[in-house]
Amino acid sequence: MALFVAGLNHRTAPVELRETLAVEEDKLRELLRDVQDAGVVDEVVVISTCNRVEIYAVADVPGEARSVAFRRLCRNRGLDPATVEPLLYTHLDAEAVQHVFRVSASLDSMLIGEPQILGQVKDAFALAQSCQTVGPTLHTLFTQAFAVAKRVRTETEIGRHAVSVSFAAVELARKIFAGLSGKAVLVVGAGEMSELAARHLVEQGAFPIYVTNRTLARAQELARALAGTAVPFDELPTALASVDIVITSTGAPEPVISREMVERATHGRRNRPLFFIDIAVPRDVEASADTLDDVYCYDIDDLKQVVDANLRERAREAQRAEALVEREVAKFRARLADVEVIPTIVSLRERLEGIRAGEVQKALARIPEASPETRAALEALSTAIVNKILHAPITKLRQSSRAGAGRSWTELVHELFGLRPSR
Amino acid sequence: MYASVLNLAVVGYVCATGLALAYLIQREEFVHRLASLATAAAWALHTLGLIALAIQTGRPPIGTVPDSVSTAVWVVVLVQLWIERRYQVKVLGAFVLPIVVVLSLKTIIRSAGLAQIGPTLGSAWIWVHITLATVGIAAFVLNFAGAVMYLLQEHQLRTKRLGAFYYRLPALETLDRLTYRTLALGFPFLTVGLILGALWAGTAWGSLFAFDPLALFSFVAWTIYAATLAGRAAAGWHGRRAAYFAVVGFAALVVTLGAGLFLPGRHGS
Repeated sequence: MALFVAGLNHRTAPVELRETLAVEEDKLRELLRDVQDAGVVDEVVVISTCNRVEIYAVADVPGEARSVAFRRLCRNRGLDPATVEPLLYTHLDAEAVQHVFRVSASLDSMLIGEPQILGQVKDAFALAQSCQTVGPTLHTLFTQAFAVAKRVRTETEIGRHAVSVSFAAVELARKIFAGLSGKAVLVVGAGEMSELAARHLVEQGAFPIYVTNRTLARAQELARALAGTAVPFDELPTALASVDIVITSTGAPEPVISREMVERATHGRRNRPLFFIDIAVPRDVEASADTLDDVYCYDIDDLKQVVDANLRERAREAQRAEALVEREVAKFRARLADVEVIPTIVSLRERLEGIRAGEVQKALARIPEASPETRAALEALSTAIVNKILHAPITKLRQSSRAGAGRSWTELVHELFGLRPSR
Repeated sequence: MYASVLNLAVVGYVCATGLALAYLIQREEFVHRLASLATAAAWALHTLGLIALAIQTGRPPIGTVPDSVSTAVWVVVLVQLWIERRYQVKVLGAFVLPIVVVLSLKTIIRSAGLAQIGPTLGSAWIWVHITLATVGIAAFVLNFAGAVMYLLQEHQLRTKRLGAFYYRLPALETLDRLTYRTLALGFPFLTVGLILGALWAGTAWGSLFAFDPLALFSFVAWTIYAATLAGRAAAGWHGRRAAYFAVVGFAALVVTLGAGLFLPGRHGS
């Protein structure tokens, strides 16, 4: 019995093919049942997202199970299996464990650290559970994969730093201000990008929000959307003095906020920094303004650089996450090996316990005058004998399974003790 | 006995410093836990050492300048651990512990024998003077650490080249608040401590400004801190300017302590 994963992802297959193969929930149920009914797998889970289609299964002959599953999938989608087959990868045993850990922890994602994949894996697992195609092995595997993913997320910063310009701006604001709640925001120019950035700030508690625009109607419209206040464009210099964060995105060919304007605004502010998020091209804030004390001015190129720095930081964190996954895989292999032999150990125990209990009862039936002490002594004696006998075979079973030879030993134990076949 | 315990505590602080710096670079959560553990263990030893010192000498562990510095360090570490927990500024140790180690070095050099307590150290006021100055020094160590962190973070944000410090250090406003609060806390202690010292010097040595290196330099440090506080409170100084002043003030304070520790004078050595 081998654990394996087979499939394709954004690295091995082009997007058109992934789109065609992606399966919706109903079809997925069908596929799970078909594959199981074909009798080639013991347990199976199928993950299907826009970036990967993979089957995780326990089977006697992984190659056979893989081709059955993907042939069915291709037939449903009207694809020639011959075009898909060369794009598939297969990972066995420890490598399969590592793969599912990496996928769940978002280390195998197109954008490392993206948070959706864990939910998608959880959904796939729940679906397979509802179709009753999950057995003890996959259950242990996926439960552990979720735990590892959670550890990776909390112990590394793989998903922490913003990879979009608007979120990067919010993060910068959080490194300037102790908190964003109660920070006043001024939106200059009613563009889509500035609205998005403003929304992020509002979500973090920024308040109040002012919006100004050359055409007041547009300003009023956006102000309504953000639950803010529209300000006439010629009051821009006054508004600057009373806010903490300014988002600019006008289409003006010349800067609408001059250094002088900023300088005057900072006079009345005393201790408060002023943060400009200038996403307009050409820029709306005069370049020399950010040499002023307490003025931080990030234009679109600066923000892109921040995003690049964040991506590098994520990549560094990903290396730490890989090491963590590596350690967890080693731990899990030992557990997985136990899972393989545990049913045998349990039935062996039950078998011997049955014999013991029966024999004790027979013996006691022959000596009805036995005192409670005698009965207890008989129980204790027989239990001790059974445990002593069991000790060596159980130890051997565990050892052999960790060494990868669990199967032949479980079969031997079944034969020797006349146990029912495990499956 | 107290000397070896105190030395052991210093060794603990050195280990904790190494771990705290490693955390700054590596940011492994367990490294931070180890660093906190090492700091707490060293601090516990430090506590024992100070108690032993007090019992052996029969007076508070502030009878000599090195003892006072050691006690100031003890306060600093306690506050550092508290701030790290309370405000989740996990990198604070990397900035405070190196100062702790530097300030602790003299305790090792000196620990060979019990320093003789000066014959003039009799009045109750002198103990108040020392206690206040000690607490003031502790506050200014944290003030300095906050200022350094502020300057590093400010530099990153201004040059827009975001590196390790950008990700690890807290927000500018938080750091500015930390430096302001430690200044506002430390300054009254230092002021009253100095006044008491001067008054007491007047009665004991016969002159308010009898030449003594420590007294002289501490007046310089006090002037710098007074200027910073006045600037902050009245002129709205903050941020970079306030941080520079905090650094200069601490430099003066270190010179002051150095004078007290190494130069002959009425504070003794």
